[in-house]
Amino acid sequence: MIVFDRVSFSYGIQQVLKGVSFSIPFNERVAILGGSGDGKTTLLKLIVGLLKPDSGRIVVDGEDITDKNEDELREVRTKFSIVFQEGALFDSLNVKENIAFGLREYSKMTEEEIDKKVRGLLGEVGLEHAIELMPEELSGGMLRRVAIMRSLAAFDPKMFLYDEATTGLDPVNADIICKLIVDLTQGGKGFIIVTHKVFDALRLAERFMFLKNGSILFDGNRDQLMQSSIPEIRVFLTELNPPLPASS
Amino acid sequence: MKKETIHIKEWISDLQDFYFLSFQGLLGLVKRPFYSKDVIEQMDYSGAGSFFIILLISLFIGMALSLQLSAELSAMGFKMYIGKIVGVSIIREIGPVMTALVYAGRVGSGVASELGSMVLGHQVDTLRVFGVDPLRKLVTPRIIGSLIMLPALTIIGDTVSILGGYYIAVFVSHQSGSVYWTSIRGVLNFENVVSGSIKPFIFGYLTACISCYMGLSTKGGAIGLRRSTTRAVVASFVMIIVADFILTRVLFYIFGFSL
Repeated sequence: MIVFDRVSFSYGIQQVLKGVSFSIPFNERVAILGGSGDGKTTLLKLIVGLLKPDSGRIVVDGEDITDKNEDELREVRTKFSIVFQEGALFDSLNVKENIAFGLREYSKMTEEEIDKKVRGLLGEVGLEHAIELMPEELSGGMLRRVAIMRSLAAFDPKMFLYDEATTGLDPVNADIICKLIVDLTQGGKGFIIVTHKVFDALRLAERFMFLKNGSILFDGNRDQLMQSSIPEIRVFLTELNPPLPASS
Repeated sequence: MKKETIHIKEWISDLQDFYFLSFQGLLGLVKRPFYSKDVIEQMDYSGAGSFFIILLISLFIGMALSLQLSAELSAMGFKMYIGKIVGVSIIREIGPVMTALVYAGRVGSGVASELGSMVLGHQVDTLRVFGVDPLRKLVTPRIIGSLIMLPALTIIGDTVSILGGYYIAVFVSHQSGSVYWTSIRGVLNFENVVSGSIKPFIFGYLTACISCYMGLSTKGGAIGLRRSTTRAVVASFVMIIVADFILTRVLFYIFGFSL
């Protein structure tokens, strides 16, 4: 369970989160919606302790992580598999080395075992042929798939965290990523996906939160979201049925 | 809270972060884990990659200095001092400073932009998620690379400058080659060599720390990257010049050079 208790966070003089409170069980599938700069990515970073809140408390799996140092947070971070926007693969490493990165840091596997594991993971997402490619040689969809597999390689996470996993992808690649996200939750594991794409959020999640100006404007299920009268949410929902442009 | 107060607090916090990075980066030299592959990569990038530009600049600096001195000293009848003045200037002052400035321009900007784009692309966050300390993985190898390669480049640069000075003194100014080399041998004493050898270590450390700090504190997209790269080079240049003065003063005191 992830618990946020009146969490506030600022970048300098710009307040990004204002006393945000919520709790999310590890097996829940949550989509956090909101516009750019509304604090969605900040929220994910706070969950894994990459940022420290200005005030409030963050509890992960019963442990208060608010004041933990980097060494203490190592253990907490192994509970999550986080995939950042555009994959965040290491530019200087090829696909194999990117996926093997966590294995080299955390396991005592031999080179042969690492190679076998990396090939196995890439095979699961149909990218075995890309093992020697560098990140700049991959398409957006391939980057995300490699990033997801990298985040899985070293740990057995309790929950997945996705930052704009489908943003910038064409519908075909977005579909591949969405299916992969669903497949990974088959064992009862949950995820939090932050996105501004309502269409993808609706096909993936069961709970929806809407962030606006650092506060949670909405927290509810699919039906509540679809019936919401909050103007900002209505604007987001127009993505599902965009008005046709007037003919000239 | 007032904006001014927040800015002052941020400035103090930045300074604190810089000292922390500089200290932790140095501590990584003696504390595990060691990223030897990254160290070798950095040595290759900063040392081997800067080799030819240092060679070229050092050669022309040595020749220009020798040319200037030839013109002035010939008029006064002191041409035999060209070697001595070229030697002292290059070994104690111009060699270490010029090499460090070129190094900061090339390597400092490269390091700041590389780390800056890693920050913006969430690669540094990814390292932290994997439990890897970015200071150990990214900063320490760059500090080691600079501590080894800048002194090495300085020695090479000094040698080439002196050779450039020799060319002008002998073939343009028609001074005796043996007089030039005797003068150079005369200035290669313990005090001068130590003076010129200590500086590159300090300059290398400063350049690496400043560039890494500027890179890792990048925010705000492409504009932020441009800002941090520019700041890394400008701050490195200023700190090299300031540190050079302070070091010169201290070394003068230690070796008892009279003014």
